[in-house]
Amino acid sequence: MILNIFGFLLMAFSAMALGLLFIGIARKVVARVQKRIGPPFYQAYLDVFKLFTKNSITHGFIFDFGAIMAFGGMITTLFFVPVGPFVLYGMNGTLLLVIYLMAVAYLGMAMATVGSGNPLASVGISRALTQMLGYELPFIVVLLTLIYSSNTSSIIGIVQTQQSGFMNWNLINIPIGTAVAFVTLLGLMGKKPFDAPIAPSEIASGPVVEHGGKYLAFIMLQHAVSVVVKTALFVDLFLGGGNNIFIFIVKMLIVWLLVTLIGSIFPRFKVEEGVLFYWRWPLIAALLQAVIIIF
Amino acid sequence: MSLFYYTFIPIVIAFIAYFLNKKIKLSLAILNSVVFAYLFYQISRLYNQWNIPHETISYYMFDREIQLIFQLTPLSWLFIFMTTGAGLLIAIFTIKSQQEYVLRSSFHLNFAILIGSILGVVLAGDFLTLFIFWEIMTWSSFFLISSGKKKAAQKASYRYIILSTIGAYLMVTALFIIYNQIHTFGYNQVAAHLSGLPITESIILIIMLAIPFIIKAGVFPFHVWVNGAHSNAPKEFSPFLSGLMLKVGIYGVILLLYFVPLYNILKESVNYRGLPIFNYILAIFGGITVITGTILAIRQEDVKRLVAFSSISQMGYIIMALAISTPLGFTGGLLHLMNHMIFKTTIFLSIAAVIYRTKTTKMSEMGGLIFKMPVTFTAYLIAIIALAGIPPTNGFISKWVIYQALIDKGYIFLSVAAFFGSIGSFMYVFKPLSTIFLGQLKPEHENIKEVPFLMQLPMFVLMALILLFGILPGLQMNLINQISQLLNIQPVGFTLYSITGAFGKWNSLVIFSLFVGGFLLAFIIFISAKKSKQVGLMDTYTSGEYMDDPEAYHYAYQYFRPFDRVFDSFAARSLTVIYDTFAQNIVKLGNLFRKSIVTGNGQTYAFYMVLFIVILAFAGWII
Repeated sequence: MILNIFGFLLMAFSAMALGLLFIGIARKVVARVQKRIGPPFYQAYLDVFKLFTKNSITHGFIFDFGAIMAFGGMITTLFFVPVGPFVLYGMNGTLLLVIYLMAVAYLGMAMATVGSGNPLASVGISRALTQMLGYELPFIVVLLTLIYSSNTSSIIGIVQTQQSGFMNWNLINIPIGTAVAFVTLLGLMGKKPFDAPIAPSEIASGPVVEHGGKYLAFIMLQHAVSVVVKTALFVDLFLGGGNNIFIFIVKMLIVWLLVTLIGSIFPRFKVEEGVLFYWRWPLIAALLQAVIIIF
Repeated sequence: MSLFYYTFIPIVIAFIAYFLNKKIKLSLAILNSVVFAYLFYQISRLYNQWNIPHETISYYMFDREIQLIFQLTPLSWLFIFMTTGAGLLIAIFTIKSQQEYVLRSSFHLNFAILIGSILGVVLAGDFLTLFIFWEIMTWSSFFLISSGKKKAAQKASYRYIILSTIGAYLMVTALFIIYNQIHTFGYNQVAAHLSGLPITESIILIIMLAIPFIIKAGVFPFHVWVNGAHSNAPKEFSPFLSGLMLKVGIYGVILLLYFVPLYNILKESVNYRGLPIFNYILAIFGGITVITGTILAIRQEDVKRLVAFSSISQMGYIIMALAISTPLGFTGGLLHLMNHMIFKTTIFLSIAAVIYRTKTTKMSEMGGLIFKMPVTFTAYLIAIIALAGIPPTNGFISKWVIYQALIDKGYIFLSVAAFFGSIGSFMYVFKPLSTIFLGQLKPEHENIKEVPFLMQLPMFVLMALILLFGILPGLQMNLINQISQLLNIQPVGFTLYSITGAFGKWNSLVIFSLFVGGFLLAFIIFISAKKSKQVGLMDTYTSGEYMDDPEAYHYAYQYFRPFDRVFDSFAARSLTVIYDTFAQNIVKLGNLFRKSIVTGNGQTYAFYMVLFIVILAFAGWII
């Protein structure tokens, strides 16, 4: 019991630390792409610590509750994604669960921001939900194919099917699906060209417009954990997971850098353009992959 | 207590109380609650007593003996339990909520008759009994729907009754065809007879028998009555309509496919990937229902219409899961049926509570009610978490089982439809949450209070059920496996905390405890940080504009406009329009006929008379 609680805390805090590190690295990379020097890689840590010491305002209990729900939901999700060899609570049937657990965090975030009463936040949430319907559909079709071909819906099981070397990775087995999943990962992380929900120049950063002080710190921590969850999920599903935590983190970093680099060179889609984009080529490709695997 | 009394008591009490109600206000609502509570208690005692013998009540009409047969199975127990439970909660809700409602007496009269007749449908032991109670159910619900919003409710209830009548005609025709040959209405005899017939003939008869049930379940292409009826019915009846009336249609489908069991006959017909073509088409219709329901729900501006379309889409899941007829699909369908009843009733009740206070159903006319009605908000929040299928609620479990069943068989279209409906449900359930409960409070709603305790009570009970079944699905699985055994379907493995799917299982207790852990951690970090200052909802970032009108500062109308733009042309070509065009063309045809014969010209009528006499003369009758 004590060991469980200790493991829980260790996992949660190391995920936060790793996520913030990734965010710092991404800021540096984007700066270099844009020919700036950029902040130091540890800037995200400084930001979070600073924000926790600042005064902040709240717009009522739903604003507080939403922030807690967003962060708590993301922490919960973390424990269902194997990070390297660490599987704290080994469970089967987790792939579909992870998708829905992430929704808890989204719902909390959405409630908090809309609860602030700022219409810009509502616009952002409406865009985010719309876009979600866009990218989740091809993503889910890929996951379905994956479950069918690996004959298990547990993430650990899927990692184990790709154990013996590079040629067994799902990257090789279902290449089209991997490509589609990577494109959906861009939307899942809200990277350009799919950053209409936060569009700083149009709707003043949308969902986070009212967040300051510890609330913004909460959003940053939640984002950090979500970066870890999403990249780890991608590595687990398509890049063979990892026997070693360092190899695993290197793989995560490669995925994250690719996402960041691609995200730093594209302009932004309009909301419905983004949705229609996902429903055109990625969805067709995903369905093609599913047909190849199932029949 | 004899099974017959379960249907008889509510119907008789209803008439007694109707006249009592003229004297004493509210007596009917309270009496109904007491009667339903008594029935609920009695029914819960019937659990596990499946060996009660069939009951036959015969009476004579036109010198012919007519028998009403009643029987109790685990399947019918599930439905009578749900019916009386939902009826009880709604009756308690109405005690307070209908104080100013003019048609109160007739509402309760019809409601009690409806409950009695649903119990009759479900307990029926042959097709004749089923049909009699089915018609009582149709008519009492017709009166209930039509007593809602004035004009719109009339139109909606006409649409409902016309579709129901078409279904009833088909059913009665099929039954008489069968009766003519075997002189009995018994389930088993009918099934035996149908399996002896040529395959096309028996399939046509099965479809004729199934259509009334599919119409009641609101499955594409017969879903057109659902949205109008749900949104225009009295606010207290909508929860029942969505939570239970639609499920009675599903009961009919289960009855025909598995209990009777006509599935065995269908298996002889054309198969597609190991599934009878009839089932496959039904499942495809289920998938289409999910997609259309979702897209149309996202567009709605009227909250009851929105939830009505979401009911349509959720019924699609149930039909899809039942139609693919694997053990896992059957289990998922039944689980979702129960869970949908629980969370959809909660949603409609919380909406009814909001309407009770604000007197409007337009979402853009409300806002910021969370601080005024926190209990209603919590009920709505928990229910939509369940509807969206997010753990640790019951909705997640049933959807998970359905997905497992669909992926297991590798049905791509159906899985995509299911996922589309699930992710789309995030969108449409968030719209009322955001526009009714969150955002800016309207100045005219400044003095709104939370609803009275008697209206909160049903919501509390339902919230507890959502969480209970979300953590302990084994409670429901116990009954479902008994039903599976009855219907010769291989039971699905389960423990109190988990269900074994095709690709693994999960443990809801671990999920729940991790949730508690995650939330506790977040809460501790939150509390340990500096305390924040509370400011008003108008005190926000406005890009330097000065805002003083909360009404203009609330983003509510056309919430998902970018998404709706994509589907504008789709929504314009809805099925309702096609049906309407069809109806207009029939009227035109009739007019053409009328105009050519009934011309309004005296000479034409004189000509008819002459013609008549000439014809008679030719026939040799006069001369």
